[in-house]
Amino acid sequence: MISLVPSWAIYYDEFWDAIKRRNLWFIKLRYGAVLMLFAFLVSSEFILGIKFTNTQSIALVLISSTILIYNGILHWVRKFLKCDPIKFNPLHFSLVQMLLDLTALMLVVYFTGGIETPLSMLFFFHMIIGSLILPGAIIYTIAFSVIFLFFIMVFAEYHFIIPHHAIAGLFQAPMYSNFTFTVLYSAVFGFVMLMSVVLANSIAHQLYRMEQKLVESLDQLNAAEVEKQKYVMSVVHEIKTPLAALHSYLDIVLQGFLGPVNEKILDKLQRVRARSAEAIQLTNDVLKVSKLRLLDEIKKEEIKVRDILSSVLKKQRANIDRKKVKLHFKDNRKVRTKILGDKLLLEIAFSNLVSNALKYIEDEGVVEIILDEKGKGIQLEVCDNGIGIPEKDLEKIFDDFYRASNIKSKGYEGTGMGLSIIKHIVEKHGGTIEVQSPSRLASQNKPGASFIVFLPLES
Amino acid sequence: MAKIVIIDDDPDILDASSLVLNSKGHEVITATNPEDGYRLVKDNSPDLIILDVMMNEPDDGFFLAQKFRREKITVPILMYSSVSKTVGMSFGVNELVPVDDFVEKPISPSLLVEKVEHLLQLRKEK
Repeated sequence: MISLVPSWAIYYDEFWDAIKRRNLWFIKLRYGAVLMLFAFLVSSEFILGIKFTNTQSIALVLISSTILIYNGILHWVRKFLKCDPIKFNPLHFSLVQMLLDLTALMLVVYFTGGIETPLSMLFFFHMIIGSLILPGAIIYTIAFSVIFLFFIMVFAEYHFIIPHHAIAGLFQAPMYSNFTFTVLYSAVFGFVMLMSVVLANSIAHQLYRMEQKLVESLDQLNAAEVEKQKYVMSVVHEIKTPLAALHSYLDIVLQGFLGPVNEKILDKLQRVRARSAEAIQLTNDVLKVSKLRLLDEIKKEEIKVRDILSSVLKKQRANIDRKKVKLHFKDNRKVRTKILGDKLLLEIAFSNLVSNALKYIEDEGVVEIILDEKGKGIQLEVCDNGIGIPEKDLEKIFDDFYRASNIKSKGYEGTGMGLSIIKHIVEKHGGTIEVQSPSRLASQNKPGASFIVFLPLES
Repeated sequence: MAKIVIIDDDPDILDASSLVLNSKGHEVITATNPEDGYRLVKDNSPDLIILDVMMNEPDDGFFLAQKFRREKITVPILMYSSVSKTVGMSFGVNELVPVDDFVEKPISPSLLVEKVEHLLQLRKEK
């Protein structure tokens, strides 16, 4: 069997999907065409004043019924086709449809006046569609056959070899026996058909090739990203290993396993421990983000957001009390809908949001956490009256390692990964996160910040 | 006091862990690779095994733990990990790996002592 699969079709799944979709589309279109043909037969006499001869009427009814029958068969056969390049596949199926249609159309054209019928325009429609889906060699062969058969028909009618079926009432004078007209019409018919086929075919192929190239580059990009994340993870892990050993030794000294330590040395060792803890935190954050990026799919468990928030707040209780923060948690939803997502990831995200709010609060702190319905999802707002975020930093705060200028100058420690992690998690759930600063709790010297997370019910 | 086998490819971690556990009066035997570790456990029948997740290969620790369990060695296993609660690989105790508890690296001496004593206590009660 001739392979109709073009050389550029590398991504078989997408390629076959497209072909199958088109085949179904043709079948549906054909039902419409049959319907129109019948409607034309019945109504043309009244509306257009056209009168068909008996032969014409019988022929057209027969042709339309045949189209209807083979379309039904095609519709049924379609389901059993396998996308195997060397066996009968959807591409061969397209070719069969095309040949059947062109044959039927040739007959319709013959019985509605040959060269005189406007229905011959439908040839162009068929050939352009064929050019879009079939390989060049095949479609050119078909185009030449159609032109050849058309010429034969015109020639045979002109010389009265076959009878001419004029449409009574459409043309004043018979045109099929006018020499100049037949030659001119046939020449233009052939030329226009060839041009359409060549142009449509080459444009279609260019487009396909570009599409394939795009898919290819996208795949390469994704693969490179995965490689990069794996590399980052292995490097960071290698860094973490000695850090962990160092940290353990420090703890052994600090926790007095080696006996008492001089106060001055102890003080400096505490600083060493704080700084190494910072480095370990950073390695952990980077590992987390890398893992998130490597995660193709998140878990889809039913989650009560309120429960996660309660558990987060419970864990932050000590922090809240120590900073003497007034915390308000409101659930404004009428129905407590559950969302689908990864509990562990969302807990990390919410915990980061709340601890951020607490971290950057100085005195007389207020934190408001509001849960609400919004569109087809839920909205969580975490609003504080802390030190806020300078306007120029707002755009970048979700970037990896980015730390706002005011927190650096005020000496807050951190890795600049917290918001990046939150954003990744929210986006993995199909949600969005926005930031506002100053927040609505703002007062003198306490602009505050507000983070608004939207999570769809079904991502 | 208890006999503990520690298997980790980082000699400093072995040293630090031994130091801490020795100070609590435990006898500590160490190995730097899964093969030696396996032999140590077979020969010494310890009261507790401490295993690192990653040695030469990322999952060495898991495989070794599985091997012990398959051979009906029911000694409690404490696993050193750097990924226990990070994203995408959350495993709880006995969920995916047949171990009894995790200690996340860097190891805090006091936490290590606490977990070791707890596991030894459970073993005694059995």
